[in-house]
Amino acid sequence: MKLFAYLKGDKVIWAIMMLLSLLSVLVVYSAVVTLAHKFKQGNSEYYLIKHFVIIVLGFGIAYVFHKIKYTVFAKVAQIGFILSVPLLLYTLLRGVSAGEASRWIEIPGIGLTFQSSDIAKIMLLLYVARVLTVKQDALQEFKGVVKLLLVPIGLICALILPANFSTAALLFVNCLCLMFIGRVRMKFMLYIIGACVGFAILLTVVVLNFPDAIPRGRTWKARIENFISGDTKTNYQSDQAKIAVANGGVIGKGPGNSTQRAFLPQASSDFIYAIIIEEYGLLTGVIMLFLYMVLLFRGIRILRDTDKTFGGFIAIGLSFSLVFQALINMAVAVNLFPVTGQPLPLVSMGGTSIWFTMAAMGIILSVSKSNEDTTAEKLETI
Amino acid sequence: MNANSHLADRKYIIGGFFILVAVIYIARLFYIQIIDDKYKLDAQNNAFRYITEYPVRGYIYDRNGKLLVYNEASYDLMVTPKETKGCDTLALCEVLQITKEDYLKRIKKACQAPNSPRKQSVFEKQMSAQTYAALQEKLYRFNGFFVQKRTVRKYPKPIAAHLLGYVGEVTKEKAEKDPYYREGDYIGISGMERSYEEALRGKKGVQIAITDVHNKVVGRYMDGKYDTLAIPGKPLFCTIDMTLQEYGEQLLRGKKGAVVAIEPSSGEILCLVSSPTYDPNLLVGGKERARNFTKLYYDSLNLPLFNRALQAMYPPGSIFKLIDALIAQRDGLIFRNTSFPCHGGYPPMGGKPKCHSHGGVDLPGSIATSCNSYYSYVFRAIVDQKKYPKFKDGYNYWRETVQSFGPGTNLGTDLPYDKPGNVPSVKYYNKVFGENGWRSNTIVSLGIGQAELTLVPLQMANVVATIANRGYYYTPHCVKGVGYEKKQDQKFKEKKYVSVQGETYYTNVIDGMQRCLDGGTATASKIKDIVMCGKTGTAQNPHGKDHAVFLAFAPRENPKIAIACIIENAGFGGTWSAPIVSLMVEKYLKGKITRPEMEKRMLEADLINGKNLLHEKH
Repeated sequence: MKLFAYLKGDKVIWAIMMLLSLLSVLVVYSAVVTLAHKFKQGNSEYYLIKHFVIIVLGFGIAYVFHKIKYTVFAKVAQIGFILSVPLLLYTLLRGVSAGEASRWIEIPGIGLTFQSSDIAKIMLLLYVARVLTVKQDALQEFKGVVKLLLVPIGLICALILPANFSTAALLFVNCLCLMFIGRVRMKFMLYIIGACVGFAILLTVVVLNFPDAIPRGRTWKARIENFISGDTKTNYQSDQAKIAVANGGVIGKGPGNSTQRAFLPQASSDFIYAIIIEEYGLLTGVIMLFLYMVLLFRGIRILRDTDKTFGGFIAIGLSFSLVFQALINMAVAVNLFPVTGQPLPLVSMGGTSIWFTMAAMGIILSVSKSNEDTTAEKLETI
Repeated sequence: MNANSHLADRKYIIGGFFILVAVIYIARLFYIQIIDDKYKLDAQNNAFRYITEYPVRGYIYDRNGKLLVYNEASYDLMVTPKETKGCDTLALCEVLQITKEDYLKRIKKACQAPNSPRKQSVFEKQMSAQTYAALQEKLYRFNGFFVQKRTVRKYPKPIAAHLLGYVGEVTKEKAEKDPYYREGDYIGISGMERSYEEALRGKKGVQIAITDVHNKVVGRYMDGKYDTLAIPGKPLFCTIDMTLQEYGEQLLRGKKGAVVAIEPSSGEILCLVSSPTYDPNLLVGGKERARNFTKLYYDSLNLPLFNRALQAMYPPGSIFKLIDALIAQRDGLIFRNTSFPCHGGYPPMGGKPKCHSHGGVDLPGSIATSCNSYYSYVFRAIVDQKKYPKFKDGYNYWRETVQSFGPGTNLGTDLPYDKPGNVPSVKYYNKVFGENGWRSNTIVSLGIGQAELTLVPLQMANVVATIANRGYYYTPHCVKGVGYEKKQDQKFKEKKYVSVQGETYYTNVIDGMQRCLDGGTATASKIKDIVMCGKTGTAQNPHGKDHAVFLAFAPRENPKIAIACIIENAGFGGTWSAPIVSLMVEKYLKGKITRPEMEKRMLEADLINGKNLLHEKH
C-alpha cells in the first residue's frame, strides 16, 4: 500500500485508527438522525460531512504529531502541565458562576470549543511519564512520590472532579497504572490505593447523605442509586441501550436500521456502542473490543521494545488512557457501570475531543517511529 | 535491562487485567443477547401499549337485599383513522344515523392533537344496545373501527338519587393528584358513590401489549406475565329500605322538603328523601349525562341537585322544645308538674313570642300543645340559672349541651357534604349586639327553635332517635356492609351518649310527645294500633310561609323508626308534615296503609305549583 509508505510508526496502530474511524463515520451517520431532526430539519448529511471533515483533520493532526520527535513532548509537558492548572481553574469558576457543570472553553475568535480536561489529561500523563523516567531516585522514598507525583496528579484531578467526576477518576486510575508500571514501589502503591478506597467511601457517603454539599452531587446520587436499585423506570437510558444490544443479534440489523437511535439520548456519542451492536451485531462489537485490546498491547509492545523509558511510558500511559475510556464507555452501554458521559475514543461523534485523541495517537506513533529508527540504526551498525 | 525486565512483569499484569475486563464484557453482551429475554423484542417492537381493563363497579343493595343500583354494558365506538382505508362509510353513517359531514368532522377531530391518525379515539360514545347490535353485524366492513365495552350505572327504580349520588368523569386536578385515575376515568361524585368510591370502583387491570412503530398491536409483553386482571368493585349493602324510600319520594312529590328516617337501635338510615328530586338514570352515560346535568343544575326554582336532607339548614321551630325540656329537667329547673303562665304569649316580654293561650299546662302538656311561653321561661331559666353567675356562661352551657345532640356539629355520617347547622356562639352575639348589648331575653326565641338556630333534617331525625333511645344515638349511616364480607366502620357501632342522662327526664318528654298525637297538635295523624310519639314544629323563616316540621318515633316501647319531616312553606307542622310522617311510619311498621284518603290527599298535593287540596276543600 502506497499510503502506508508515508506513514511512519506502528502500522497496526494506524490500521486500527482507520478501521475505527471508518466505522465511526458509518455509525454516526445513522445515529445522528434524531439530532438532525431536532436541529437541522432532518439533514443528517450535515453531520456526516462535518464528522468526516473532523476525522480527516484529526488524521492530519496525528500525522503531524507522529513526525515530531517525542522528546519534544517532554519539554512541552513541563510547561503545558503548569498552564493547564489556570485553564482548569478558569473553566471551573466560569461553571460555578453560570450555576452548572461547565467543562468547555471557547477559543476566542474562531468559535471552537474544547474541554480543558482533554488538554490537562495529555499534559498530566506526559508529566508523570517524565517524572517516572527522570526522578527515579527521588521516587525511592514515599515523600518523593507524594511531592512529585501525588500532589500534581491530585491537583489536576481535583480540578476536573467537580464538573466531570468520571474523567477525573479515570485519569487518576490511569496515572496509578502508569506509576505501577513506572517502578514505584509496591508498598507505596498499596498506601495510595488504600487512601483512594478511603476517599471513595467518604465521597459516596457524602454524596448519598448530603448531595447538596457538592456541585452535581444530586446527579451523581441519582445515578448511583439507579444503578444499584435497578429501577427500570428511572434507568431509561440503560434499558434502551440493552434493548439495542438485545435487538442487534449476532450479525446486527444492518447499517442504518437502528430503531433505538430514536430512544437513546446521546446515541451518537455516549451510547454509540449500543447502536453499533444493534446495527452491526455482536460480532462487530467483539471485534471492536479486540481492536482496542490490540491497541493496548501495541502500546505495551512499544514499551517492551524501547530502550528509552520515557517514550515507553508515554506510549503505555496514552494507550491505557484511550482503551480505559473505551472500556468505560462500553461498560455503560451494557449496564456494567453507572451512566457516565465518556465518549468512545475514535468512534463517538465530537469536535475537538476527536482531535485530542488523534494527537495522543500521534504521540504514541511518534514513539514507535523512533523505536523503528533505532532498530534500523542498530541493524545498520551490525 | 534489569529494570526493563522488572517492568515487563508489571505491564503484563495490567494487560491481563484488561483482558479480564474484556472477557467480562463479552459475557455481559452474551447475557443480554442470548440469556435474558427481557429486552428481546422484535426489531419493530419498541413501544408498549397499556390497555386498561375497567372493573365492574360494585352493585348497591337495600337493607332487604333488593337491588338499588347495577351496571349495564355500554359501547363506545373507537376509530383509528389511519386504518379506515376501505371502510364502508355509507353503511356506517346509516347505522349511526349521522351525515357524511358528521363523519368527516369526527374523523378530522380524531386526527388532530391530542388525538392522532395512528391512535384510537372515541368516535361515538355510549351507543345504545340496539345500535351496537346493528353495528356488530357489519363491523367487518368498517375498517379501523372497533367497539370498546364499558359499563354504566343503571337504577331499577328511579329513586334515591341524592342518597346514591352519581358517577362522572374524574376532574383533571383529581387525575393529576391521584395516581389511580387517568383522565377520562369515572369516579363517584356525590352520595354513596363518592364516600364508598374506593370499595365500589374495584381495581383497574392492565394488559401490556407490544406495538410496532405503526402502533399496531403485535403481541403481549412477556406473554402477559406483567398483565393484571381487573378486580371488580365490592357491593354495598346499605341500610335504606327501598319501599319506604320510594313511598317517601312519592309523598313529597310536588313539595319542597326532606324526610329522614333512622332506626334508633342501630343508627341505620332507613330513608333519606330530598324533594324535588330527579331520576338517577338521567345522570349516567356521556352526552346524555352532560345535557341532563346542565338542565338540573340550572333549575334554580326547584334546585333538584340540592340534597336538602343533608344540606338545607332549617330553623327547627317547636321541635327544639324537646331538647330544652330535657336540659331544664336535668338542672332541676322544671319538673313534670311545673307550669308557667301563658296569656297568648310570653308575659315578661309583653306577649312575645306569641302563643295560643294555654295557661297552666304541665311539662307533658307543654309539649303536646307546644306552648311558646312555657319554653321561653324554660330557656331563660337554663341560661340564667344560679350555677352560672354570668349569663354568658349559662348560654355556653346550654349551647354545649345542645351540641351534644348533634346540632351545630357534623354528625360524621358516611354521606358526603353534610352541613353542620348552626347554634350561634357567644362571640357571634357579642358582634351583633355588642359586648353588653344582649341578655337572655334578647335571644329568647332560640328556646323555641327560632332566630339563628338551624338544623339539617338529618340532625332532626338524629335528635328524635336520641330521645327514642332515651339518651344516646349511633352515628347515622347508610351502609351496613362493604363487600361480601360485610365490613363496617367500627365508629358506626359506637354508642354516643348525649349530655342529658336520666330515664325520668325522657319519660316526661315522651309522655308529652305521645299526647301530641292523643289530643295535641298532631291528633289527626294518630295511627291505629301504633303508639307513636311526635312533636310538631312550625318554623318561621325569611323565605315566606312557615316550614312545616314534624318528628316522631314509633312504637313507644322498642322504637323501630325515628323520623323527621320538613316541608318548606307549607304552614303548620300538624297539617302537612305530621300526616306524611304518619303514613310513612304506618307503611314501614305495618307494610300497608289504612287511611287511603289521607294518603291520596298527601300524594296529590302540589304545594310548589300552588295546588293545595286542603285549601280547595275549605
